[in-house]
Amino acid sequence: MGRTLTQIGTVTAMNLRSLPQRKWTSLATVVAIALVTGVLLAFLAMANGFQATVAGTGASDVMIAMRKGSESEINSTLMREQVLLLQEAPGLAKASDGKPLMSPELYVIVDGIKKSSGLKANLPLRGLGPLANEVRRGITIVSGRMFQPGTNELVVGRAVSKQFRGFELGAKMRLASQNWVVVGEFDAGGTVFESEIWADVAVLQGLYQRGSTVQTVRARMTDPANLEKIRAFSEADPRLKLDVKSEKDFYAGQSRNIGDLILYLGWPLAIAMSFGALAGALNTMFASVDARTREIATLRAIGFRGTPAFIGTMVESLILAAIGGLVGAVGTYLLFDGLSAATLGGNFTQVVFSLKLSWSLVLQGLILALVIGVAGGVFPAWRAARVPLLAAFKEQ
Amino acid sequence: MTLIDLVRKNLFRKRLRTILTLVAIFVAFVIFGVLATFQNAINAGVEVAGADRLITVNRINFTLPMPLAYATRVAAVPGVARVAHAEWFGGYFQEPRNFLVAFAVDPKNYLDIYPEYIVPPAQREAFLRDKTSILVGKSVAEQFGWKAGDRLPLKSNIYTQKNGSDTWDFTIAGIVAGNEARVDTSFVMFHYQYLADTRSFGDGTTGWMILKTTDAKENARVMREVDALFANSAFETETKTEQAFNKAFAEQLGDLGFIVTMIVGAAFATILLIVGNTMMLTVRERTNEIAVMKTIGFTTQRIFGLVLGESMLLALIGGLLGIAFAWLISFAMAGPLSRFGPIAFSWDTAATAFVLMAVLGLLTGLIPAIRAMNTDIVTALGRK
Repeated sequence: MGRTLTQIGTVTAMNLRSLPQRKWTSLATVVAIALVTGVLLAFLAMANGFQATVAGTGASDVMIAMRKGSESEINSTLMREQVLLLQEAPGLAKASDGKPLMSPELYVIVDGIKKSSGLKANLPLRGLGPLANEVRRGITIVSGRMFQPGTNELVVGRAVSKQFRGFELGAKMRLASQNWVVVGEFDAGGTVFESEIWADVAVLQGLYQRGSTVQTVRARMTDPANLEKIRAFSEADPRLKLDVKSEKDFYAGQSRNIGDLILYLGWPLAIAMSFGALAGALNTMFASVDARTREIATLRAIGFRGTPAFIGTMVESLILAAIGGLVGAVGTYLLFDGLSAATLGGNFTQVVFSLKLSWSLVLQGLILALVIGVAGGVFPAWRAARVPLLAAFKEQ
Repeated sequence: MTLIDLVRKNLFRKRLRTILTLVAIFVAFVIFGVLATFQNAINAGVEVAGADRLITVNRINFTLPMPLAYATRVAAVPGVARVAHAEWFGGYFQEPRNFLVAFAVDPKNYLDIYPEYIVPPAQREAFLRDKTSILVGKSVAEQFGWKAGDRLPLKSNIYTQKNGSDTWDFTIAGIVAGNEARVDTSFVMFHYQYLADTRSFGDGTTGWMILKTTDAKENARVMREVDALFANSAFETETKTEQAFNKAFAEQLGDLGFIVTMIVGAAFATILLIVGNTMMLTVRERTNEIAVMKTIGFTTQRIFGLVLGESMLLALIGGLLGIAFAWLISFAMAGPLSRFGPIAFSWDTAATAFVLMAVLGLLTGLIPAIRAMNTDIVTALGRK
């Protein structure tokens, strides 16, 4: 047993030391595997970043009420009467004057021009109720100030001013023949809210001739468990019968579809590309075994067994694959990690997110690279293990 | 033995290596073919857009409504031949996941403005006659197995009826086909009036207008004049060509062109390395033989042609097989994925693939061929 181990060590070292002789072909394999890993990781980072942004939005102690079947804020409509009824719901947190911490909101879409493409894209313009600041937490104004209720003032999320033209502090714009001005920029901890524009709900109701209707109601609950009570309250009143969810669940649901779509594209692509890289790895490893045929046969002649030749070749293949996988991961990290991208989210508006690598994703990429390494090494290694003794005397 | 015979024989001398290299090329071309087909499907709206069609939407954003009365005013603008209007219904069948692209349209004008939608005359008549009938796009009809005469209850995630019901009952009057494969038929359309009469809010408004101009040359002036009509009103408009509108719409998903280019680029960089590397290996192994060929009178040009021919043949075989397979895949995907757009393999894709094959063969063969051509007989034969 000990001798076999020594033999394995010797042959593996010989394999690796002879690598520089095959540097171009080995390099081709490494780069091919790096590219495959890179493509996979770019997709995974995209799905991960999108999901982190959307699923990270919303609090579990904030409830959101929408018209039944509306699925997203943009489709919902709530009458003033329903908003008033909801104020009586049990389990809501109250302000010092006894009013529930509730924000009736409008959610409409305005055009923004993407800096990257110069084309128009849908941006959400949200009208906030007067108590919105106490319903939503974790919002900080990073420059300028909050809008004054009752005026045509806007505050924009950081992602909006970064990705879209014309939303800098002080920028003026026209919406439905009225002049608006951007007075502040807010940070919402990297959530979907940073892709939104906010204004006073009452002003927007007038502007969009919505009368007294709103689209959604958000309210802070004293305890996340109160959601069931509020839902029961809404079901019991035929004038309500709303969809009541926690804000956290609402955004978790929205993250699923597009996140899945990106994943379902990324894996099949990476697997298809792996077959190409695998073909390259096999060629390289077969060439490596061929080039060492005499050497391997000579070793056999002086008493080495087939196993060390097999393992030596496998190790060489796995090392090339691991280097490829690492290069791919580092390359993806340098090129794509933190890269800002935007796509259409569940509300038919742009969600700005950052590509985000994580250790578990890098691990998935490395596993793919090593699978290519194993598959690309096993057949050549098998051939190496069965090199006949006579090959030692064959001319090369 | 001709040069071509020699190239062919050479190519399959190391059969396993050649097959593996072919697999790598094959995969890259399958990826290219499938992604290009997908991209075409998403951009189909841009390509089939009528040159003489304009879209007028609410200036703030196209999801916002505009007064129905605008249609009559726009029809009076010189250069406008026809006006139709349409509205997004947010429709679904039974459950929200059976989501449908459903438009409430001004039926006669809408069908006249879109000549690419083909409806059998009898079905067209039936649709125009019955206010509660609906036309179903061919790909939707195939997906759900619906046919003319079926009853179709639809719900909306936006509207409810005045009477409190959340379901609209329709009768399928007919099936809409496209006049060519690129035309998207993943929609249903019904009478605007039916929606307007029954919905609990949204009185007197519609979603957007489609304008047909008398001549595409009039487009710029018509766009200006239409938007000027409603300037400074509560519902300002923005008019664009249908093509510009569809392009912006497709781009909302993200910079798809960029993503596709990156992936195809990575796939081709991979095979460039793999094939180039294999060719180098091959030429190195044959150094002796090339020296012998030169000794017996092969010209350097023929040696060059021999190696380059081999890499070209390799790229061509792998590439053609890959493109053929991509064609099969797009054929198989056309049904299940029809709701994303009309999936059809195009000749443009095949032509681009052909160019890529030539470039690949050239790039991977050039250096090995030059090396083979420059093989020095004395050194090569003396190396033993």
